[in-house]
Amino acid sequence: MNAPDRYERFVVPEGTKKVSYERDTKIINAASFTIEREDHTIGNILRMQLHRDDNVLFAGYKLPHPLQYKIIVRVHTTSQSSPMQAYNQAINDLDKELDHLRNAFETEMAKHSRDY
Amino acid sequence: MEGGGGASYQRFPVVKVRETKDDYLKFELRGTDASVANALRRVMIAEVPTIAIDLVEIEVNSSVLNDEFIAHRLGLVPLTSDRAMSMRFSRDCDACDGDGQCEFCSVEFHLRAKCMTDQTLDVTSKDLISSDHTVVPVDFSDALADDSAEQKGITIVKLRRGQELRLRAIARKGIGKDHAKWSPAATVTFMYEPEIHINEDLVETLSLEEKQSWVESSPTKVFDINPNTEQVLVVDPEAYTYDEEVIKKAEAMGKPGLVEIYAKEDSFIFTVESTGAIKASQLVLNAIDVLKQKLDAVRLSEDTVEADDQFGELGAHMRGG
Repeated sequence: MNAPDRYERFVVPEGTKKVSYERDTKIINAASFTIEREDHTIGNILRMQLHRDDNVLFAGYKLPHPLQYKIIVRVHTTSQSSPMQAYNQAINDLDKELDHLRNAFETEMAKHSRDY
Repeated sequence: MEGGGGASYQRFPVVKVRETKDDYLKFELRGTDASVANALRRVMIAEVPTIAIDLVEIEVNSSVLNDEFIAHRLGLVPLTSDRAMSMRFSRDCDACDGDGQCEFCSVEFHLRAKCMTDQTLDVTSKDLISSDHTVVPVDFSDALADDSAEQKGITIVKLRRGQELRLRAIARKGIGKDHAKWSPAATVTFMYEPEIHINEDLVETLSLEEKQSWVESSPTKVFDINPNTEQVLVVDPEAYTYDEEVIKKAEAMGKPGLVEIYAKEDSFIFTVESTGAIKASQLVLNAIDVLKQKLDAVRLSEDTVEADDQFGELGAHMRGG
């Protein structure tokens, strides 16, 4: 009867931003990214990719509540970088990794269909 | 402005396909971490789109199953969905103002069946007549043993003499997150590749019976004994389920360190089984594409960056003044 629509889990409501950015008021080079309608799939790969960055001092994500369809990614970097720079770099690197993975998978499948 | 600069922390994963069938795929993924492997698994299950029946208008139903029961069963029938990636979601289709009944976002099906004999009539997925030849109920006939004279589809309902079923159904594009009927995956799993080291010197201090009982302590057949040399061998490392029974057994026998087993943290073995809606290999490719689209969607927008630049100046004033 009063169940929320199923699509609310993955459709960003109109007038809402997909990603919002908030600087930490007390710590320099620390910030939180609130990502609407995303979950562990994006949260965890972003977190792990941020951990590979030497300039990232802290990176973590949380899903505040299972019925609030958003995640919060918190990043703290050294003065050599900034949370925004680290965040963009992480997305770019993951994107390139997936490009590479797609090519690797396609060549491997082509090889397999030729062999058998 | 930002996004460039700094060293790249990109990885270059390596793939090795082991076995491939239309609805089954086994491959190795190396040179990445569990977060990427798990993201791929999650996307394959819940976010790769397929087509499934979503709206059913029943004209006549005098079968023993009620209307909603039949509508639910129809929804679960897998439909060939090679077109799904390029199709539109009904909710953002502008050709039909969201009523979701146009050629760009939907496929129509008809079903008419009436039992006229004393023999029970099986209404199956084969009785569903599609308006689009690229979107039809999945045909499993080659997967089954084809010695039976007639190939059957998926049973929807059984009719006895005089009972009738007549309906119109609309199939739409959707994802598993919305409803499991849209999930193209039957199962997707991955495991860490195990690395097993037997301490040969310690094994040689065991008698043949002791070796036998140690080998048999593993619930799955990971080890065996060479009947000629009486040496303990690893026959199938991937059969190991990380149960640690062999490690406990070695300790109980007073021989700790008989075997050391590690999980290689950057090496995964994937098993993908598809419902037949899309090929297993295509499912992996679609999952990579969907994951890329998702990453693209979480990039910072231009106005967010600008707003922060202003904030930065303001902050500098506040700090400086």
